[in-house]
Amino acid sequence: MIKPREEHTNETEAGERMSFIREITKNKYLYLLALPGLAFLIVFAYIPLSGHLIAFKKYRLADGLWGSKFVGFDNFKFFFMSADWYKVTFNTAFLNGLFLIFGLGIALILALFLNEIRHALFKKLAQSFIFMPYFISWLVVSMMAFAFLNTTDGMVNHTLEAYGAEKVNWYLKAEVWPAFLTLIYVWKFAGYYSIIFLAAITGISGEYYESARIDGATRFQQIIHITIPLIRSVVIVLGLLGVGRIFYGDFGMIYGIIGDNSALYSTTDVIDTYTYRALRVLSDFSKSSAVVLYQSVMGLITILIFNQIAKKIDKDSGLF
Amino acid sequence: MKKTLLSGLSVLLIMLALIGCSSNSNTPESSGNSADPESSAPASAPAEGEKLDPVTLKIILPGDRPADMDVIIEEAEKRMADTINVKLDLVFVPFSDLASKTQVMLASGEDVDLIFDAPWLHMEQMIAAGYYEPLEDLLAQYGQDAVSVRSQQMFDANKFQGKIYALPLGNSHLDGRTYLIRKDLREKYGVAPIKSYEELIAFANKIKENEKDIIPLLASGQPGQKDISWGAFRAFMTRDPEILRSDALGQSLVLHYKNNDGKVYNLFDEMDPTVWSWIEDARKLYTDGLIHPDVLAIKDANAVFESGDVAIYATNGFGVPAAMKASIPKNVPGAEVEAVTFMPLEKGKITTSFKQANFQAIPKVSKNKERAMMFLNWTAQKENYDLLAYGIEGTNYEAIGDDQYKTLPDSKYSYFPYAWVWNPTLDRLDAGLDPDAIEHLKFNTVADNLIASKLTGFSFNPEPVANEVSLYSAIEDKYYSSLFNGVSDPTETWNKLKSEGEAYLKKIQVELQKQIDEFLATK
Repeated sequence: MIKPREEHTNETEAGERMSFIREITKNKYLYLLALPGLAFLIVFAYIPLSGHLIAFKKYRLADGLWGSKFVGFDNFKFFFMSADWYKVTFNTAFLNGLFLIFGLGIALILALFLNEIRHALFKKLAQSFIFMPYFISWLVVSMMAFAFLNTTDGMVNHTLEAYGAEKVNWYLKAEVWPAFLTLIYVWKFAGYYSIIFLAAITGISGEYYESARIDGATRFQQIIHITIPLIRSVVIVLGLLGVGRIFYGDFGMIYGIIGDNSALYSTTDVIDTYTYRALRVLSDFSKSSAVVLYQSVMGLITILIFNQIAKKIDKDSGLF
Repeated sequence: MKKTLLSGLSVLLIMLALIGCSSNSNTPESSGNSADPESSAPASAPAEGEKLDPVTLKIILPGDRPADMDVIIEEAEKRMADTINVKLDLVFVPFSDLASKTQVMLASGEDVDLIFDAPWLHMEQMIAAGYYEPLEDLLAQYGQDAVSVRSQQMFDANKFQGKIYALPLGNSHLDGRTYLIRKDLREKYGVAPIKSYEELIAFANKIKENEKDIIPLLASGQPGQKDISWGAFRAFMTRDPEILRSDALGQSLVLHYKNNDGKVYNLFDEMDPTVWSWIEDARKLYTDGLIHPDVLAIKDANAVFESGDVAIYATNGFGVPAAMKASIPKNVPGAEVEAVTFMPLEKGKITTSFKQANFQAIPKVSKNKERAMMFLNWTAQKENYDLLAYGIEGTNYEAIGDDQYKTLPDSKYSYFPYAWVWNPTLDRLDAGLDPDAIEHLKFNTVADNLIASKLTGFSFNPEPVANEVSLYSAIEDKYYSSLFNGVSDPTETWNKLKSEGEAYLKKIQVELQKQIDEFLATK
């Protein structure tokens, strides 16, 4: 995409306005192309921003957004007054961090492996097979997890028993669940991300590899010195996008798999599931908006920090 | 660039402001209606043969549209053509969208004549927001039959802010609770029909000793169903003391009523020895391996019981649900289920507040309020009730006597009278239920068989303690289910719950007691 740059900071205001109009007329077709996307962003990303106002009001549908009483930070109390808010915040960031690192890491390895497969049919089959879990809904995943892990006739416990070990009641062992959840996440999403990486790899010009081969580089060296550096920006962009959402727990996933199992809350309770439980009785718009605002602000801060870090590492790979 | 962005944003904000303002301009309009001049002289419903102009009523119902709905509507319209002349426009809203969609319908002033609502949905909020018409005058004028098929207690108990804002729908004054038991296993070990909790546990122990692959006991481990966790469930079966859930927390026993004395008791202040014995008993059952080890992880306990892996299952309702009766023998050949309840069939033993869970309200914006009430009244006549509740006789159902029915095998009309017509007088019972369940259900349709709670008609307004309620709920959800299913050590779990939640709960208790005292003072 061509990015119109403003390179005239010293000009007068009138000149600035002129140049803005000139810019538009000059690139009108490009802007026209961007119009649907812009409209989408305005309707679904910018207008909802004003909804954050609800977080500071005692919102009642009958009174409308403006008619509702302004209550300041009152709606945040229920969350920050609880002894658990930093724990669920930590859980959210920790689980999402694990998902991000292992999800992208393993996807990258998968993409590199897939790229090295020479047999076309096998490659296609392997790719589809790895991609498949992406289409399985969390509800089904949760049933599969239960079939694996339950105490009475779960596959894992059957195996343990067959080798003479004690049965383990996994659904009471909170400490192992971050690992289980990461495993499930990787299984479900690694295929999806690997396709994106594979697309980026396919875009790399074959000439690099050709000259590398002439210079006597091994396959492994080609991967390390050509493929990885060239798709680094894709990895960073995906990583940054993930970091931006690090304070949003995947409600569908956590609630689908853990459900309301109170024995596992200590390691798996994320902001979203906690809020859901706290407000299940009251279903309060304002209080849930307050939590969403908290998540957004935290997300914004982290993405700003990580964007700076990314830019330090590689000048061109920051998001903005 | 910046300026245009700013002006663009401000245009957006102005648009939003307009949207926000327009959404609340439709409520006050017809609030004067309740003081109709005619209401002083309650006339009866239109005389026979008097034909009214045709009117189409838009009715909002929960769930999915049954396939045979149109046939039933056609028949109903034919029957009404000569009298109240109502055409039916039924709009079904799936349960998943029910809360938000109905809220938007009301807020946007959509022309709706009858709408389903419930305390578990957003009844109180919608009433507080002034969307519903009070029904006293309409009921007096056009609703004699709708009144007579319901008990006085039912109307008294389901008032909101002292007024009848919606027609209560219910076929019973008390919810049933049951232990479902695998009859085939009971007979296999020569155990006599179970009559008490001790016998129940003795049977569970027999299973434990003899059936390696069957788990003796299962209850719900989900915080959303705290009331049917194993230990807490016993409150429904125990009458001395009779411990009743509070209006503030719904399912939890930590705040409770007893002795019908209008007082709120708090287990943190003083642990009730009976409740503690339930907790300790549950712990023993769990450590002995009688309660399902994964009880907290099971999301669909019904499905687990239906799979045939469990011998005794604590659940809601009376009798064995028809679906379960059919599915268990399919999963385990030869399996049979029976229902056992220890709730008494003796007059004046059980206290109830006569609260109902489902309602039909008439929105203020409706232009056909009188006709809507006439329609509700029309549904309170036996043959019309049968049509709307069970479908067409001979096609959808077969009437058995006056008060029972059987669904015919190829009927495409599903059961949803609870959403618009339910009442204890005209309702038929499924003839497939066992006699004991039918006896219980019939017993509980008679309001006078039950003790009226002193708090009948009271409803709690959580607003003053909203923060405490959400904080405490989140804390309680961490411990309650594992405590009452015996999954964790009772003393340790209780102390954690107490140390984290006591302060919030105290505030809720004080507020609840305050509202109760105010309610009792005006009574």
